[in-house]
Amino acid sequence: MTDPRPVSLQIRDLCKSFYGVPAVDGVDFDLVGGEIHGLLGENGAGKSTLCSVLAGLYRPDSGQVVIDGQEVHLRSPDDAASHGIGMVYQHFRLVDSFTVAENIMLGNAATLGRKARRTVDERVQLIAAEYGLDVTPWAPVWQLSVGERQRVEILKQLYRGARILILDEPTAVLAAHEADRLFEALRLMVAKGHAVVLVSHKMQEILGHTDRVTVLRAGRNAGAGRTDAMTPAALAAMMFGSAAAIDPTSTSSAISSPGATVLALDRVSATGDHGRTAVDDVTLEVHRGEIVGVAGVAGNGQRELHEAIAGLRPVGSGTLVIDGTDCTNAGPKARHRAGLAYVPEDRLGTGLASGLTIEHNIALRSFDRPPHSRLGRLSPKNMRATAAGLVRAFDVRGTRDGMPVSFMSGGNLQKAILARELTEHHEVIVAAAPTRGLDIAAAETIRGHLRRERDGGRGVLLFSEDLSEVLDLSDVVLVMFKGCIVGRFAKADVDLETIGLLMTGAEAVAM
Amino acid sequence: MIAGLVVSPRARPAMAVRFGVPLASLIVALAVGALVLLAVGSDPVEAYRTMYDASLSGSAPIERTLTYATPLILTGLAAAVAFRMRTYNIGAEGQLFAGAIAGSWVALILPADLPSPLMLVLMLGGGLVAGALWAALAAVPKAFLGTDEIITTLMLNFVALALMNYLIFGSLSFWRDPRRPVPQGKKIPDAAELPLMSGRLHAGFAIAVVAAVQLWWLLRSTTFGFRLRTIGDSHRAARYAGIGVPVATLIVMSISGGLAGLAGAIEISGVTKSLEPRALAIELGYTGIVIAAVARLNPLGVVPVAVLLAAISTSGSSLQTVGVQVEVVVLLQGLIFLAVTAGEFFVTNRISRRPTATRPAPPSAPAPASVADVDEPSAGLEPMTASPTARTAP
Amino acid sequence: MNDTVFVLSAASALVAGTPILLAALGEIIAERSGVMNLGVEGMMLFGAVAAFWAGVHTHSLTLALLVGGLAGTAMSMIHALLAVTLKVNQTVSGLSLVIVGSGLSAFLGNSGDTPLLQAQNGVDVERLLPRGLADLPLIGPILFGHDVVVYLTWVAVAVAAYALYRTPAGLSLRAVGEDPAAADAAGLHVVRIRYLATAIGGFGAGVGGAYLVLAVLGTWQTGMTAGAGWIAVALVILAGWRPWLALVGAYVFGALRGLGFTLQIAQVDVPSDFLTMIPFIAAYAVVILVSASPARARRVAAPAALGEPYSREER
Repeated sequence: MTDPRPVSLQIRDLCKSFYGVPAVDGVDFDLVGGEIHGLLGENGAGKSTLCSVLAGLYRPDSGQVVIDGQEVHLRSPDDAASHGIGMVYQHFRLVDSFTVAENIMLGNAATLGRKARRTVDERVQLIAAEYGLDVTPWAPVWQLSVGERQRVEILKQLYRGARILILDEPTAVLAAHEADRLFEALRLMVAKGHAVVLVSHKMQEILGHTDRVTVLRAGRNAGAGRTDAMTPAALAAMMFGSAAAIDPTSTSSAISSPGATVLALDRVSATGDHGRTAVDDVTLEVHRGEIVGVAGVAGNGQRELHEAIAGLRPVGSGTLVIDGTDCTNAGPKARHRAGLAYVPEDRLGTGLASGLTIEHNIALRSFDRPPHSRLGRLSPKNMRATAAGLVRAFDVRGTRDGMPVSFMSGGNLQKAILARELTEHHEVIVAAAPTRGLDIAAAETIRGHLRRERDGGRGVLLFSEDLSEVLDLSDVVLVMFKGCIVGRFAKADVDLETIGLLMTGAEAVAM
Repeated sequence: MIAGLVVSPRARPAMAVRFGVPLASLIVALAVGALVLLAVGSDPVEAYRTMYDASLSGSAPIERTLTYATPLILTGLAAAVAFRMRTYNIGAEGQLFAGAIAGSWVALILPADLPSPLMLVLMLGGGLVAGALWAALAAVPKAFLGTDEIITTLMLNFVALALMNYLIFGSLSFWRDPRRPVPQGKKIPDAAELPLMSGRLHAGFAIAVVAAVQLWWLLRSTTFGFRLRTIGDSHRAARYAGIGVPVATLIVMSISGGLAGLAGAIEISGVTKSLEPRALAIELGYTGIVIAAVARLNPLGVVPVAVLLAAISTSGSSLQTVGVQVEVVVLLQGLIFLAVTAGEFFVTNRISRRPTATRPAPPSAPAPASVADVDEPSAGLEPMTASPTARTAP
Repeated sequence: MNDTVFVLSAASALVAGTPILLAALGEIIAERSGVMNLGVEGMMLFGAVAAFWAGVHTHSLTLALLVGGLAGTAMSMIHALLAVTLKVNQTVSGLSLVIVGSGLSAFLGNSGDTPLLQAQNGVDVERLLPRGLADLPLIGPILFGHDVVVYLTWVAVAVAAYALYRTPAGLSLRAVGEDPAAADAAGLHVVRIRYLATAIGGFGAGVGGAYLVLAVLGTWQTGMTAGAGWIAVALVILAGWRPWLALVGAYVFGALRGLGFTLQIAQVDVPSDFLTMIPFIAAYAVVILVSASPARARRVAAPAALGEPYSREER
């Protein structure tokens, strides 16, 4: 089923804008079978847009896509698939309630009788064995780990005959040893003549696992060449321009001695959306002047844990104390009053009411007291004044009078949430995935805010799927697996390998 | 979609768009109605002129129209306030019946020589409370169990209708006039009749208009309105902000049901003077939903829209003189509803020509930050367009 | 209650439940694709008036049912345009369909040279009496001796249940309703599938209305569905979007609707208005019970993307 003739793909002068602002602006790109080709650039550089065009999701405004010497017009994902392009998104496109086999069959004209299903299962297992991507065809997807889901995505593309495989930030959600397994499988694929595009903003990954690399910056080509001829410095210069902006590894964590406890969880349990225990007997403390980072692969109870702390999910058992106040059974408002600031995972829909204005959202926590209202009567003037002040102080851009916040970018949304949460009285900040999907500058601003809070003597509990971010910011690292805290490390004795193993449950360590 | 056209959400629809589009939708609906009339062999111009003459020219027709508009304003407000929070109370019909039953009961049970103002306050208050309680039958399960209110409010409409029919046609109840052989309601005392303002127009119209203004102020300028808008946008954001969604649901459903119940009591007091199922079961509640939609859930907008739909309704019977059957009224209402619903798309979206192959050269290379600033925003949502209306799963 | 009463009422439940079942089955298909069409009542009314018209003029049951179904489909396409393409609020769009349907059917039912109000349907609804089977004690008269539509509805339920879970088409349909982004990425045409499912939903409602007017009532009356469409919408939730449970539920509602008849025979004196209320109170109570039951924790709930429009360029 694999075509031995190596494929080739060229992109010439591709342009795509959104609402008049170019996201990709005249990009060229070359790909041949048998190579892993890195596509490097920071968030917002145009990588995702380029990939979405190849996946048939976006139609380019102009430019050419040439496959095997033929110009093609990719009008739909189906079109892209028929030209042998398969896309593996960072956020998987799998139907959770379906089985692995059902997901793989989806969109294929294969029949589904009991007999046909068995042959599908066999074929899936065959391909899986060929590339070392073992999965159980009849398992429902919602039961799978992130690594397994990714394998299903890749299998789905191979099953459909993809010869060009595009992976969007595939290691962002994987633990170290799972990532190694992924790269082994990718090597097997290119050895059979497939072409792989590895989209990433992690330089080390590009340097370690690709044959060639193309760098994008601000929607344009910033350089390309053989990977073995590249140096980290050269790549950084291409990514960030000559003024190589922020070095993401620099950190100034002046080891501050932790103070009093501001958040204490004692044997807390909580139930997940499907009625199963998602947080299991978690005990943790956050002190003043300390950032506690929770590392873990997504879906191991982090979401349920921070929701339980914020009061958005009932605490099943155990106790929860915020700055000396028992808040185990308190609502979100009482916890906020006790000193909790919360930066939720969903910026739009939880952190902010997406269809409402910035004034409304800034006043979300304080609308029912002066100066924003008096005796139940709103003061639009004071709400506007507060919002205007905070927009300036936190450098929130892209707001317009009367405009719903959903029109703002992720970085500005996050700044708006921080503006509100950090201005109200607070002693401890719980931040969930605060930099996910943000460009480097915005992410660094957000991290800066968290550091300043720590240095100002408050406690921070940070949840992030990005292990490097957790390690970079935290004074104490906790590892969460299957609803439990399975490891605790002080900054000084962090052991990357052990953390990776703990995150995937490969090793159980007594605390 | 259509080649060459691009659809993009409007960050903030201009005044002209927000008022112009529903108006244009109205005209489209009347045009389609004209085509239907043509198709069945009637003269639409003559039909529309007859309707206008019968409803809006001269003081008597106008009074009749405003009288008819009174309950419609209230049911329109009932739908508007609930829909604002994305609580789809489509039970105004039944809540109106509950208000009528309770209102007439209060008027009949109180001593007939009670001072009129006191009598009216108690009667209308009784109707309001009954409407709110009837709504609570759906609001309580919705607030505490997440029961889909569309189904429950609707089922309760049929129950209320059957109950009202039973009281007059099916039994010798307290409400039925025992002296007449034909089933008919007992007449309420004179003190329970709303005073007339001008000609045949009773004071209920003023009450309805005041209610509209009050509700508008409540939604716009109070913390309650703030809560309601937040819940209407996102339940999770509301909970995050410490807003109690169940309590707000109960309050809003009570207001909504209360307004519909008030409409029922006012109809008894100002128009029918007794519990008359046939005169009350004319889909006043369902028409309120149409009115709220056309008014884009704005309480102030409800008043003119209710008058317009009342004009269409009252002129229905006059159409028979030109050979058009009354049913065209409901058809027109449906078409208006449909056209305005479709028009909502044009309020929240901008349609523009796709920039063709020659792309406009950007003035300067955009900085990375500015690319990120506009990187594929999600759409702006308003209650009438917004998506997350999926029913609560059982 | 003696045997005859039971048999008669059970048999009438099947007939009274069939229009509800047809409409609910169609709605299950539509909602499984993520499109919530609350306009069932309106589509049933329009299907009924169209089928009645066709029955009066052609005297053919098949044609009348077909015309009724297509009328329902035609109306459902309005909803598809509004909800799928223009992405307006599906609740509001569905409600507008109810009002258009009741207005249009009332208007058409009383227009033209021969108002349908006076006509009989003119269609001979034949009964199937398989020899031997109908003579079986108890179940014979209950299950056999109905008209062909009752049995075709069973076939439709079986086909729908099989198709939903055992065919690629059903898999695609469910995928679009569960996770349209995933379905889109898998190369499925989300919009096309949703239009198709909505059309099937409209057809079911239209045929349901047609059966109601042709076989159950026998003549056209303005507003004759009297809430049957809404019962069907409630039934979809009660049945957990599963065809076979919808069949059971529809017959229970059929029995409740026919309760007056049963009680009359049994000589129990209950005011007719209370009998009218019973199915509605039952639906009200059961919807609440379902939402209160711990079953909501299980993964057999509504399609995950129900009521949500899908746009590709939005991430």
